[in-house]
Amino acid sequence: MKRFFVGSTAIAALLLAACGSNNGTATNPSTGAANPIPVPPAAALTGAGATFPAPFYDAARFAYNQKFSQVTVNYQAVGSGAGIQQLTKKTVDFGASDVPMNATELTNAGGAGSVVEIASTLGTEGLAYNLQGVANGQLKLTPDTIAGIFLRHITNWNDPALAADNSGVSLPNQPITVVHRSDGSGTTYIFSDYMSTVNAEWKTKIGKGKSLSWPAGEQGASGNAAVATTIKNTPGAIGYVELAYILQTNMTQASLKNHDGQFVIPSAEGATAAATQFPDVTPGQFSIVDAPGKASAPITGYSWLMLYKDQADKTKGTALVDFLYWLVKDGQQYAVTVHYAKLPANMVSNDVTSLKTVTSGGSTLLTVSGS
Amino acid sequence: MSRGTADRVVPAPLVAIGRRRRLNTGDQIFRGLAYVAAILVFVIAFILVLALLLPALPSITRFGLGFIVSRVWDPVHEHFGALPAIYGTLVTSAIGIVLAFPIGLGAALFLAEEGGLRMIRGPLSFAIELLAAIPSVVIGLWAFFTLTPLMRANIDPFLNHVFGFLPLFRGTASGYGYLTAGVVLAIMVLPIMTALSRDVIAAVPRALREASLALGATRAETIWSVVLPYARVGITGAILLSLGRALGETIAVTMVIGNSPNISASLFSLGYTLPSVIANEFTEAVGNVYQGALFELALILVVITVLVNVFARLLIWRFKGSEPASA
Repeated sequence: MKRFFVGSTAIAALLLAACGSNNGTATNPSTGAANPIPVPPAAALTGAGATFPAPFYDAARFAYNQKFSQVTVNYQAVGSGAGIQQLTKKTVDFGASDVPMNATELTNAGGAGSVVEIASTLGTEGLAYNLQGVANGQLKLTPDTIAGIFLRHITNWNDPALAADNSGVSLPNQPITVVHRSDGSGTTYIFSDYMSTVNAEWKTKIGKGKSLSWPAGEQGASGNAAVATTIKNTPGAIGYVELAYILQTNMTQASLKNHDGQFVIPSAEGATAAATQFPDVTPGQFSIVDAPGKASAPITGYSWLMLYKDQADKTKGTALVDFLYWLVKDGQQYAVTVHYAKLPANMVSNDVTSLKTVTSGGSTLLTVSGS
Repeated sequence: MSRGTADRVVPAPLVAIGRRRRLNTGDQIFRGLAYVAAILVFVIAFILVLALLLPALPSITRFGLGFIVSRVWDPVHEHFGALPAIYGTLVTSAIGIVLAFPIGLGAALFLAEEGGLRMIRGPLSFAIELLAAIPSVVIGLWAFFTLTPLMRANIDPFLNHVFGFLPLFRGTASGYGYLTAGVVLAIMVLPIMTALSRDVIAAVPRALREASLALGATRAETIWSVVLPYARVGITGAILLSLGRALGETIAVTMVIGNSPNISASLFSLGYTLPSVIANEFTEAVGNVYQGALFELALILVVITVLVNVFARLLIWRFKGSEPASA
């Protein structure tokens, strides 16, 4: 199997080298000197992985192809696990995951030093609910009440623990239906990462992961869209949903008490504010939940892209780092249009530093000055 | 024709060719290809089982038989048990069969027996085939958006009101869960149930029916005491084949089962099935044990469905074998 892939990559390399040589030296009139976007050589790039950032990647790769028609980027939204597996088998040029690769995955991919991981976008989650007469942002939830609801200690909306934070809001006598993701997902990972950070009982009982052992009686639905629809269909339901889905489907979401004790309605700006608080984020130390700062949205996380540090095919490798450089710089504007948050400046510069370590045959592929 | 004379019926030249076994090149090539094809079927089946068994080994060696009886499904701490999923698979399929059986049998009797209303026989056959042709994801979509609110607001409260003395119909109804999944499965197995039952009922010898009618039995009595007993084994086979289909159904069930590993007497409670767990979790299952557990679920599902199908085939063969050979 391996031999076949190596063989086919070699053939692809020859073909690409043959047709790529014309474009390599072309100048790009559309970008100014202040923010030089490198002109990529012709290549067809393939990526696979997480479903959560897929709308952003789709918008971005389309825009990039409009700008540089010699590069086409395909993205298969097959799930983070499958994306990492495909990268490891080298059937794709880049993988995407909501959680950076763990130690085992890195070992399978040839060791931690052989893979470069960059943050591509920023997502945040809200708690969407279906309660008649309780408007958007009116319901206030604290880390303790969220844990209480999801651990089934609080099972009715009229629970005194909820009333304490919600004076002035009439919460009905109605059982709480908890809805969560049934498929393994980065959304669940970030939510459980947050809960494990803020609640000791959650940390020991449930922990963090892409799939969890949920308390009995909670409802699982596959995908953000199905969770959103289930909540909309079920009076008294609550669940964690990606902000993009909450906004697109006009759901009501709770104000969440953040690390500084402020109640905030999760927003893209809140996500960027939270991410700015963690300038030292690395793929090994990536958690940015429960961020300090008045405006920070508490349940926030990066989505990651990974590629091999040593690119076998120089032309393709160059096109790949050029595309990713654009993605973390100019490409961020397309994140906003699909309700994801812009990467903070410190993360962009981390990403560029990482991309500069990508080489082929010993020479650096990304040719930009500064960060 | 008596058995003693059977040998003489075979034409002489054929016997001669058979004995000499002289085949020309074309025949030999064809025979070779046919052998290869036949062996390939076995090889594919073997590889399939092996491909499930090998990745499942980390889970099998770690949990042993405990996997089948454990109720825990905790990917974070890598404790896995299949019991809720096995239970959910069997319960939803059973509900599906119980609901589909009377409707399927009734429609089959109508198609095979009722001569007077030819007008709607065609449309009915067509409707059943149409039902069989609807992709399961479409049925799932309909169930998710239309059936679940209906179950929550109307059907479940009604059942609770009337049959609430049974533990089966107690508890809060969310519209999702075993019963809703069972209704979806009933819709999906109805075409198979009807078509197979119709065929076995149609195979009941005309002479038996006429004899019964001639003895003064009414139409209903004939169906009840002659046709159905005769077709009983075949109908059982139809039930089991429908069960085989219900057990493996994935997407439509996943959309309405609630995806929560529970074991509860109430049919309103949320559950999980073997195919749903696999479909939900394989994309993000990281680590040998986690993946192994999913493969072991697949293996269990294969074993259950193969057993059901083998049993069904045996019954249907017995039915065919029991057809009056030389009345």
